[in-house]
Amino acid sequence: MNALFRGASYGAVIITAILSTIAIGIWFERKFAGRMQSRLGPTIVGPVGLFQPLADVVKLLQKEDIVPRDADRSLFDLAPILATLFALGAAAVVPFSATAVTADLDIGVLWILAIGALMVIPTFMAGWASNNKFALLGGMRAVAQAVSYAVPLVLAVMVPVILSGTMQVSGIVQWQQQHHWVALWPVIPGLPAFVLFFLAMLAESNRIPFDIPEAESELVAGITTEYTGAKFTLFYMAEYVHTLVGSAVGASLFLGGWDGPFAPGLHWMVLKTLLLFAAVYWVRWSLLRFRSDQLMDLCWKWLTPIGVFLVLAAATWVQLMPGGR
Amino acid sequence: MTASVGFGFMAACTLVSAIFVVRSKNLIRAALWLGATLLLTAALYAMLDASFLAGVQVLLYVGGISTLLIFGVMMTRKHEGLVVEAETVNVPRGVFAAGALFGGVAAAIKMTPELDSGVRPPVVTANDLGRGLLIDHVLAFEVVSLLLLVAIIGAVVIARKRDPGAEVPGFVRRPLAAKASSAKPVANEVSP
Repeated sequence: MNALFRGASYGAVIITAILSTIAIGIWFERKFAGRMQSRLGPTIVGPVGLFQPLADVVKLLQKEDIVPRDADRSLFDLAPILATLFALGAAAVVPFSATAVTADLDIGVLWILAIGALMVIPTFMAGWASNNKFALLGGMRAVAQAVSYAVPLVLAVMVPVILSGTMQVSGIVQWQQQHHWVALWPVIPGLPAFVLFFLAMLAESNRIPFDIPEAESELVAGITTEYTGAKFTLFYMAEYVHTLVGSAVGASLFLGGWDGPFAPGLHWMVLKTLLLFAAVYWVRWSLLRFRSDQLMDLCWKWLTPIGVFLVLAAATWVQLMPGGR
Repeated sequence: MTASVGFGFMAACTLVSAIFVVRSKNLIRAALWLGATLLLTAALYAMLDASFLAGVQVLLYVGGISTLLIFGVMMTRKHEGLVVEAETVNVPRGVFAAGALFGGVAAAIKMTPELDSGVRPPVVTANDLGRGLLIDHVLAFEVVSLLLLVAIIGAVVIARKRDPGAEVPGFVRRPLAAKASSAKPVANEVSP
């Protein structure tokens, strides 16, 4: 019971931390995008526009909740809730410091992948239940993309698992603490695996250059076309949660988690996660969108074979380096 | 006691959602209920200390198979409007097959003496499973993967057109010239 209580309280703290980080993250993204496009970003609400996300949330929650007449009502309502739930779910096994982890499962990595695979269900549900051509097309594209990019994602994640010999996320971090960060050494497969993970994560969370499912110039707003008010807010938030949790996973699996020079601890993990999060937005505001077929080409003709090679390389490395790995 | 009540509750939920799978008229909803059933089965596995199996169940069955099913429904059926109708056929035969399977499994459980001893079986970790599959039983494992390879090649052969020039049944190839000639009068009408 004690462990359950501890897990629940850590979980509550971590969820609160993620959600408040996202509010600031949205502000940061808008400022950052503004800088990249030679404009100021939000400036009116609060000092340097810091309260803008709060104003946005209040505005969105006040909006009328419109449900299309022919929508499948229960699925339409369920989809945004499930999307947020699954996006938050992966955070349960991510250790933010040596002790701050909600549930330190021995199959942590598998849990992350499984929850990631579940994300396609609410996406599809929303696209289908909206009873709208654009939403359905967006939903199908999103599912096709997520299912395809799950393959390189799994392969990339296999590299730290093979190197450290455990699927427990905290175990992988401890191994990196004792040896070296996976992204740094061995250079092959470590660094390319990290890049592969980053690309697959961008695709899984539907971020530019992989935001085909939304593609506002073609599909209005993809699966969120018919969503308004609070439900739209949930979808919007789920997307940011997905990116943030993905960054945290990347930081723990490839960048040594809470490990760092001087004093290892929570601050290093937070720093790495936020840097990865910022990198996602750096890419987002720098690049253009891929075309749908280019996206599939990249996944199946490049990323997947590279992933297979990296897994082989990791296994070879473990075999050739006796004991030391 | 609490554990068995929890297990019973989860098993009941699984059963209810499985009934929804077969009784649902809307095929997409049936597929989503199937996803829920598979997820609840994974929860049962987790309660039985088979956490690796639970993870794989979610990853492959909920994430993969139910998504494939949904894709299958969407690509093969005409979906005019929202509801894709499903019909219930062969109820007696279905009930018989399910009953026979249940009876078989129940009999097998009854006939296993180890289950009555009350000793909790050892927890099989992912590590043990990996060793078992890739070291002790590697030949059987590879044979199974060969079977999957055969299935993939078979799917490719079936899906591929045998000869690019051959007539596809039910598809009338209209020559390009005919299309061009039918387009011409329209052009004339526009600019006389």
